[in-house]
Amino acid sequence: MRKTYVAVVLLALVAIVGDHLTSPSSGRAVSPEDFAGACAPCGAPCPSKK
Amino acid sequence: MSTATVSVPASSAAPQIDYLFLGAAVAATAILVALVLLDGQPASAALILGGFALGIAFLKAEFSYTASWRRFLTRGEAGGLIGGLIVIAICALAIVPVAALLPGFGGAIAPLGPSLVVGAFVFGIGMQLANGCGSGTLYTVGGGSGRMLITLAFFVIGSVFGSLSLPSFLALGGVDPVLASDYLGPWGGLLATLASIAAAAAVMAAVAKKCGANFMPSRSYIIGGIVIGLLCIGVFFAGGHPWSVTFGYTVWGGKIFAALGFDFSQAEFWQWPGPKRALTGSVLSDTSSLTDFGMIFGAMAAAAATKRYAATAWPPLKSLLAAAIGGLLCGWGARIGFGCNIGAFIGGVASGSLHGWIWFLAALPGCMIGIRLRPLFGMSRE
Repeated sequence: MRKTYVAVVLLALVAIVGDHLTSPSSGRAVSPEDFAGACAPCGAPCPSKK
Repeated sequence: MSTATVSVPASSAAPQIDYLFLGAAVAATAILVALVLLDGQPASAALILGGFALGIAFLKAEFSYTASWRRFLTRGEAGGLIGGLIVIAICALAIVPVAALLPGFGGAIAPLGPSLVVGAFVFGIGMQLANGCGSGTLYTVGGGSGRMLITLAFFVIGSVFGSLSLPSFLALGGVDPVLASDYLGPWGGLLATLASIAAAAAVMAAVAKKCGANFMPSRSYIIGGIVIGLLCIGVFFAGGHPWSVTFGYTVWGGKIFAALGFDFSQAEFWQWPGPKRALTGSVLSDTSSLTDFGMIFGAMAAAAATKRYAATAWPPLKSLLAAAIGGLLCGWGARIGFGCNIGAFIGGVASGSLHGWIWFLAALPGCMIGIRLRPLFGMSRE
């Protein structure tokens, strides 16, 4: 199991750093709730807005 | 802790430091913190470090929502759930008034309707089969449980399926979020929230008494609950919203599926501004991913500091199958039901949002079914 963990940690770290370096710079970290019209932590709209 | 997931080998009675994994956890955290600081984002660094501390706190306190629900439903023991309410009460002291009074801050809200109820119910089933909820999966994965690696992988996959299903469930109808502070003001809302938590604790204690079971939280749950509650407040101030876990899983899954060629351009969920931005932006600009990464590495550091890391054997295949099925159900249910124990229950109730209690009540029967299914996979009902 230790070898699996070594592989998973390395793969995850490479994926995170790679994603960060290849993604557009986005400034402050946000949650979907920060966007107008969001009604849930995932950014779903309010029933009254649909 | 999710029982039987992070165990100490019988041969290692004396604490020993696993320098390889302790170093890896600290180095990985340092790299992530450095990356966000290079972008000039100290709040993001605070979220990673907050998650790191949460990982340590959860692991050291062996704080498990999944086991607490199970002990309550099978034996009437309410100490674990009441320990969880300590976390919520502490969070509410900051979240309800600050979210209502200060611009830039918001509570965890969600619409009330079939989506919330169905999602929480399915999550309850999955949580007992997976042997961990959102936070439990993070810290047991970090703690060195190979079984929970399987749960996490399928949690992520289920979460993407959930993202594709959510718009259809929302179309079934519902009402806008009901927030105590909207009706009673920030301080009245806080009082109502604390009263609801006290009432729930009283009901749980009454059930425990009737069953002849213990209802006092253990010392580790009291101390752990206080520490976790305070850390949740720190995460709230750093991120502007209550701590959430499972949206990060959805983002990871979305990015992996997209990298494999899956086209989300026709998926309604991924066209909403928040998810769309999360899919295209850096994973380190998503608040829940930041705390998730920190929590995994924090638990890894805490586990590796005391024992040889990940030294246990893989569990039986049936147990791994339960981990996979439970993970899928958790992922799907969390997306349909607007979160897990952390994002929906703790975050919702601590924000004074009615959906937190509805989520709890809907997840309970799901847990009961999940507990009944556990023996099919060689897992104890206890």
